[in-house]
Amino acid sequence: MDQPAIATESLSRQFGTFTAVQDVNLYVQPGQFFGFLGPNGAGKSTTIKMMTGLLAPSSGRIRILGLDLNENPIEVKGQIGVVPEDMALFGRLTGSEYLNFVGRMYGLDRETASKRASELLDFMQLAEAPKKLVMDYSHGMQKKVALAAAVIHGPKILFLDEPFEGVDAVASGTLKTMLQRMIANGATIFLTSHVLEIVERLCSHVAIIHKGHLVAQGSLEELRAGVQAEAAPAGASSDLVSGQKLTLEEIFLRIVGGPQTQKEELSWLG
Amino acid sequence: MLGINTAQRELLSALAAARWQMFMHSLRSVRGKLEMFSRVLVGFLFTILAIGGAIGQGVTAGYFVSRGHTEWLAFLLWPVLLFWQGFPVMASAFSESPESSYLLRFPLSYRSYFLVRIFYALLDPANFVGGFWLLGITLGVGIAAPRLLIWTAIVLLTFGLFNMLLTQMIFVWIEKWLVQRRTREILGVLFFLVMMSFQFIGPFMSHYGRSSKTALTATFARTSAWQQLFPPGAAAHAIAQMGNAKWFAAFGFYVFLAAYAALVFSLLSVRYYAQFRGENLSETEGPKKTGDTTKPAPLGWNIPGLPGTIAAIFEKEIRFLIRSGPLLFSLAVPLIMAVFFRVQITSRGGGSFFSRSPIWAFPAGAAYALLLLTNLSYNAFGGDTNGGMQFFFAAPVRLRQVLIAKNLAHTFVFVIDVTLVWIAVWLLYQRPLLYVTLLTLAAALLVLPLDFTLGNVFSIYSPKKSNPGKFGQQRAAQLTVLASFGLRAVLLGFVGLVVWLCRLYGNLWLAGLIFLVLSVASFAVYASLLGYSERLAFNRREVMIAELGRK
Repeated sequence: MDQPAIATESLSRQFGTFTAVQDVNLYVQPGQFFGFLGPNGAGKSTTIKMMTGLLAPSSGRIRILGLDLNENPIEVKGQIGVVPEDMALFGRLTGSEYLNFVGRMYGLDRETASKRASELLDFMQLAEAPKKLVMDYSHGMQKKVALAAAVIHGPKILFLDEPFEGVDAVASGTLKTMLQRMIANGATIFLTSHVLEIVERLCSHVAIIHKGHLVAQGSLEELRAGVQAEAAPAGASSDLVSGQKLTLEEIFLRIVGGPQTQKEELSWLG
Repeated sequence: MLGINTAQRELLSALAAARWQMFMHSLRSVRGKLEMFSRVLVGFLFTILAIGGAIGQGVTAGYFVSRGHTEWLAFLLWPVLLFWQGFPVMASAFSESPESSYLLRFPLSYRSYFLVRIFYALLDPANFVGGFWLLGITLGVGIAAPRLLIWTAIVLLTFGLFNMLLTQMIFVWIEKWLVQRRTREILGVLFFLVMMSFQFIGPFMSHYGRSSKTALTATFARTSAWQQLFPPGAAAHAIAQMGNAKWFAAFGFYVFLAAYAALVFSLLSVRYYAQFRGENLSETEGPKKTGDTTKPAPLGWNIPGLPGTIAAIFEKEIRFLIRSGPLLFSLAVPLIMAVFFRVQITSRGGGSFFSRSPIWAFPAGAAYALLLLTNLSYNAFGGDTNGGMQFFFAAPVRLRQVLIAKNLAHTFVFVIDVTLVWIAVWLLYQRPLLYVTLLTLAAALLVLPLDFTLGNVFSIYSPKKSNPGKFGQQRAAQLTVLASFGLRAVLLGFVGLVVWLCRLYGNLWLAGLIFLVLSVASFAVYASLLGYSERLAFNRREVMIAELGRK
């Protein structure tokens, strides 16, 4: 079996007395499109920040492409691309200046950085406003330029924290096309998203984190089979026993718990 | 209350409560407590300035009134006005205006929005100090002529209000002008013309600077008539006419002063209202016409001798600076100070210290240029908001490279500023002597590396989100500002001591040699502490990302 693209061993992180992530053991194989799911506050962003060197783990190890992140941070960072939650933009640069800057920060020469910046701006349909500052971009445009910056150096692994949040359908289509092309070319993608339909459509493998603990990990089929197997002996609801294929949303809700009951709803809301 | 309904009052009180809670939460950390301590200390210093100035102004005002020259109060009110308008720019390290665009999400009426903005504006130290000085003048007049006390209080309250509104009005309009390339170019040309006009100030002041006290008194008397056309003169004449029992004239001058305040209020309101309506100032151009071919992205800067990553960060820093009008504006302040000291006439009728000893004007200007770097070099990551700081930690670069690039950019800014100061001193006083210029540059070589070293540590230890595109939102943390002033006091004190001692021995070249030799040690300290700064940043990355990513 290939060396995992991403592997964490007993990864934990405490903030004071609060444990945000505890003993997470993740394995992502090269070429996988990996979805990392969890309810709000489950520890997704904390985990992704630790895996990209933005946050120090309290304990545990992270290996990226076989390299220990703590021991080889520069080498690892050179091989990954990141779109963090805040997008890591420099608002007072134009789109092309920003991409040029990022390209050179990742070691590209001036000519290559400029050429790739042009291609990416064209691909992302951002080339029409060359003098517009990034701070004046719409949210969707900022997402696109952040993604363009994350891939300008041709990373082997791409970490995306909520890449589709606030992105319109057209832009979302562009992003998906690009990500699928990267997977086809052998890259590994690790993404978090609340849009389960997108994860279901794009990802081959999924992990679910809940209250800081990794509660499920595997291919979609494995997760589906696991949920059905757990439900069967306990009396099983009709949709499980009928053999109907569970959606990722159903799997997710069964693992982390369903929505609030009517009793808990806010009566004063119109 | 000011025509605000109950719902709006509730909203304003909720905002005040939220800010109070934020303030209290900020005291939970050690850094927050140190920041609070620094604020108290700075507040104490401003109180001394305010009370000292108020006593001086009050005594002088009383003297003017008791001698029957009440209209001469204008000569006290002019400095108050100049201080009030100049201080927020000249000492931007102490001025702060909180971000208020977040208010727009709330169902706030324009009147409430305006009040909140004005309340924020009131927090500026210039208002505190200027207000105290006006109080001093009021009391001085009141003691000399008790029947004028209430009228003086009314007039000077209006004058104070005018000043407070004028500061905000100037800031919001300059912000608007500086944000657009065309108006920025026009201001650039104006700036150039002003620089050129410096050469006329020298002969002018040479003439008046040598005048005797009697001649100056006569000059004051002559200018008193036209001064009534301006707010300080109008305020002084309103008080003087009341003293002469000319009620209509007094009221007329007061109305004239109030009209100024109303005009400034209206102009300020135009900008505030535009912001209230959600105006977003930017150089954003419209979409390109279809059919235009896409141009290739321009190449990044190639700076000989610098690795690509450092050159890229240097380019980014300079581009940021060029697009940050208010920050650029503050860098022109040493020139304003040079003019200020040139036109200053002392009580003895002579010029300022620099008019009498012009050889020190250039070193002093260079030292002041260093002070103005505070917000840049001691809060080097302040502009890397919106996840910018995250980028530096996510990218495959050593943080020392980032620091070096930023320090180089700050050195570049310093060199530009010092060059402008050199030209200004030449035009205003005399061409700086060669040995003084070289001595100043040698001292800069000694001071800058040490200054940058401490600046790097504080940029990491105490980062503060800043907005270089807005006046009053560029300030470093107060603790940082105090530390920077402390270090500069030590360094510049040492430089001054060496120069003084070498001058005693009649060999200033020796001072230059000492500075050059010590600058080698200074560079060594800088280089050796880069590693420490890098480790500190690595350990504090979460705090830095959180602080600079704060919404």
